[in-house]
Amino acid sequence: MTGGLALLPDLGKPLQGGVNRLVDALVVGFGDKLDAVSDGLTAPVRLLEGVLGHLPPEAGIAMVGLAAWLATRKIAFAAGMGALVLVLALLGVWPAAMQSLALIVVAVLLIVLLGLPLGVAAARMPRFSRALTPLYDLMQTVPSFVYLIPVAMILGLGRAPALVATLIYALPPFARLTELGLREVDGRAVEAARALGLNTRQALWLIELPLARPAILQGLNQAIMMALAMVVVASMIGAKGLGETVLLGLQRADPGLGFVGGLGIVLLAVLLDRLAQAIFRARAPSRRRGVP
Amino acid sequence: MTMTATLRAGAFLLCGLVGGFTAMAEAKACELDRSVKIAGLDYDSAAFHAAVARTIVEKGFGCKVERVPGVVAPLVNGLARGDVDVIMEIWLANPVEAWSRAEAAGKVIPLGTTFPDANEGWYVPRYLVEGADARAKDLKSVTDLKRYKDLFVDRQEPGKGRFYNCVAGWVCEGINTKKLAAYGLAEAFSNVRGGSGEALVAAIEASLKRKQPVLFYYWSPTWLVGAYDLVKLEEPAFDPAIWAELKASEKPARATAYPTSRVVIGANLAFTQSAPQLTGFFRNYGLTSAMTSQMLAAARAAGISPEEQALRFLKDRPADWRGWVTPEIAAKVQAGL
Repeated sequence: MTGGLALLPDLGKPLQGGVNRLVDALVVGFGDKLDAVSDGLTAPVRLLEGVLGHLPPEAGIAMVGLAAWLATRKIAFAAGMGALVLVLALLGVWPAAMQSLALIVVAVLLIVLLGLPLGVAAARMPRFSRALTPLYDLMQTVPSFVYLIPVAMILGLGRAPALVATLIYALPPFARLTELGLREVDGRAVEAARALGLNTRQALWLIELPLARPAILQGLNQAIMMALAMVVVASMIGAKGLGETVLLGLQRADPGLGFVGGLGIVLLAVLLDRLAQAIFRARAPSRRRGVP
Repeated sequence: MTMTATLRAGAFLLCGLVGGFTAMAEAKACELDRSVKIAGLDYDSAAFHAAVARTIVEKGFGCKVERVPGVVAPLVNGLARGDVDVIMEIWLANPVEAWSRAEAAGKVIPLGTTFPDANEGWYVPRYLVEGADARAKDLKSVTDLKRYKDLFVDRQEPGKGRFYNCVAGWVCEGINTKKLAAYGLAEAFSNVRGGSGEALVAAIEASLKRKQPVLFYYWSPTWLVGAYDLVKLEEPAFDPAIWAELKASEKPARATAYPTSRVVIGANLAFTQSAPQLTGFFRNYGLTSAMTSQMLAAARAAGISPEEQALRFLKDRPADWRGWVTPEIAAKVQAGL
């Protein structure tokens, strides 16, 4: 660290001290406001957890199977999705899986709510896009352990810091792919729509976003996968669920327990992704029929 | 004339050189013709004590020291085989199995007591229970906690108090969970188990900095106990029978305080026989848990490593360690700092 380069000052120490003082000042000075932020983030997850927590596995299997059939009208797909839920229940991790599911659903909803406008804005404004790129790079590359501790200090242990950590990690791919999809929409299609009298907003909703659908769905897939990948990290800052099962396996050197938890996460990932893809793909043709 | 002068000068120089070497050899007279291997346990109290011992062995006894990094179980196995000479922390209340086996086989022996009073318990900050504006003046023991669940409110689980347990999956986490039930607090308090010790202590420290009510399990020696003024809640006095039941049973009816652990220096038997002076030093070695906590807190406050703090300890507090060695060796250590 303190090599022979005496000419260069050591800025690491002051930076370290500065960051520590900043976090301290935040915690001590804005504690009450941050508590309110934490409560606001926690509330939707708690609500969903309350609902999912009362859902018996049998009802879960039926609902997923029905949703899958309605989306694709394929019996095999519906049966396959239902079977995934059944295996999840048979693994004995149902309550934990529902806790993880609640966290991920809220995280992915927030990602879409934030990422879609960001992607649209970036596609429209190249300068904004150029400003966002390094920020996204930072969010995706900075190791989660770097922000885990300050986030835990600022928001306390529990669902709120887990949500923030998941957002930091899983938002960039969705926003990026949304932007990319919109950029690659054929300009002539938009021109034609405008010539037919659609205003900018209508052109966005009726032409651009549907045409960018494949890229946006790819982004959604990435967001779901990355949110699930953060489940174990989230459990390090007090989020309950499948991540905690994996972590217990790790701490107790119990590879079997870790495997069961990990398998649960994989099942949940496959289930969420296939179902979301099926539902959003299914809606594509009907829309297209509406716009000849 | 010039010839003899040169010769004389040469002889003189040679004598001086030889004399110098002998003097140096005396200063560096180590009992061992190899380096002393001290276990480098991977947590900070052990790192501090290992660095204190290392500095004294190097500067005072003139020995080379090699640090063998690792975690406790393999290091104790290494101690039995002679790959490691000394381990600074063997926790006697709950020794690793490898230690019990090696001690029964006569391969290792305990030397000095690193600190006699390592302990665990449930803590609250002192500002909560003492002083004019203390919010829980009557909170003395774990049995009082039920009345104070609203004080320690868990914002994630409204209606319950929050108890920060140990890291999920650790032995202490299981014990605390059983204690919550045995003390009748399982319904009133949410059992918050962090997935990492760092995140847990970050959340606890954030509350302490904001002067908020916080209830948590912790152990000492640790920097947290050294850095903040904490009060340990009273529990029923330690009872070995209840303790055994608490550890073995899934749903114990009673609970008891954590045992205080004596933490000793473990040494390889062959090492103690071949290095009696070093062994004498390790036998005399001894600090307290409170002092160790205080040193770790100072290191954290100054942003330095436990190893650097060990040097500051030796420099600033000679009265605390000079008694472990002869005055000559103590002088050598101080001269070398």
